[in-house]
Amino acid sequence: MQDDEAALAADTPIAPLDLLVILRHPPHGSSWLREGVDVALVAAAFGQSVGLLFQGDGVFALVEGQRAGPLGQKGTHAQLAMLEMYDIERLWVSASALRARGLTPADLMLPVQLLEADALERLVHAQPHTLLF
Amino acid sequence: MMLHLLNRSPQFDGLYWDLSEAFGADDHLLLIEDACYAALPAAAASLAAFGGRVSVLSEDAESRGLLGRLSDDVALVDMAGFVALTATFPHSLSWF
Repeated sequence: MQDDEAALAADTPIAPLDLLVILRHPPHGSSWLREGVDVALVAAAFGQSVGLLFQGDGVFALVEGQRAGPLGQKGTHAQLAMLEMYDIERLWVSASALRARGLTPADLMLPVQLLEADALERLVHAQPHTLLF
Repeated sequence: MMLHLLNRSPQFDGLYWDLSEAFGADDHLLLIEDACYAALPAAAASLAAFGGRVSVLSEDAESRGLLGRLSDDVALVDMAGFVALTATFPHSLSWF
């Protein structure tokens, strides 16, 4: 039921943003995710409207209950918790990526909008500038 | 209308899946670098989602010894064709 509430209706228009950042990598294992989030935060700090799309293993970035690694590696959950402070409130998640990993929006640390493939396609096509990490 | 550039081999099936979700009816996919291996007939399943709107960069296919081995469903495009594609489509998006 929560899925239905969070899903984007097929006819909902998607406004273009200054920047869409697509995040496809999980936290901790590489610096891909951190760099993508950094770019989003920098753009937002310069007054750009920014949205994030989580695809593939990128959805793991949103899992509730993350913490620093055993050697003190920071991870990205603290950065993600700051998104709202930077006015980055448009968080989209591939519904199929979430399903394939056995997760639901209730497992995530932030409120997100789920996108089925058709809506995800419309989102990407509506954006003039997209960066992929 | 969007040109998607892909440079990873079909063993990165998560990347192919994510790209297929964002791929539109008027879009085109250009296979470059290691993505040339997706143009082999044996890898046809990895391109099934793209409706035949797929090209492969001939220079990259040639350097990998793939010319003459590629699927007929994938168009060969040289570097000049690559430039022409980027001029034809208003937006490009790289997947890696």
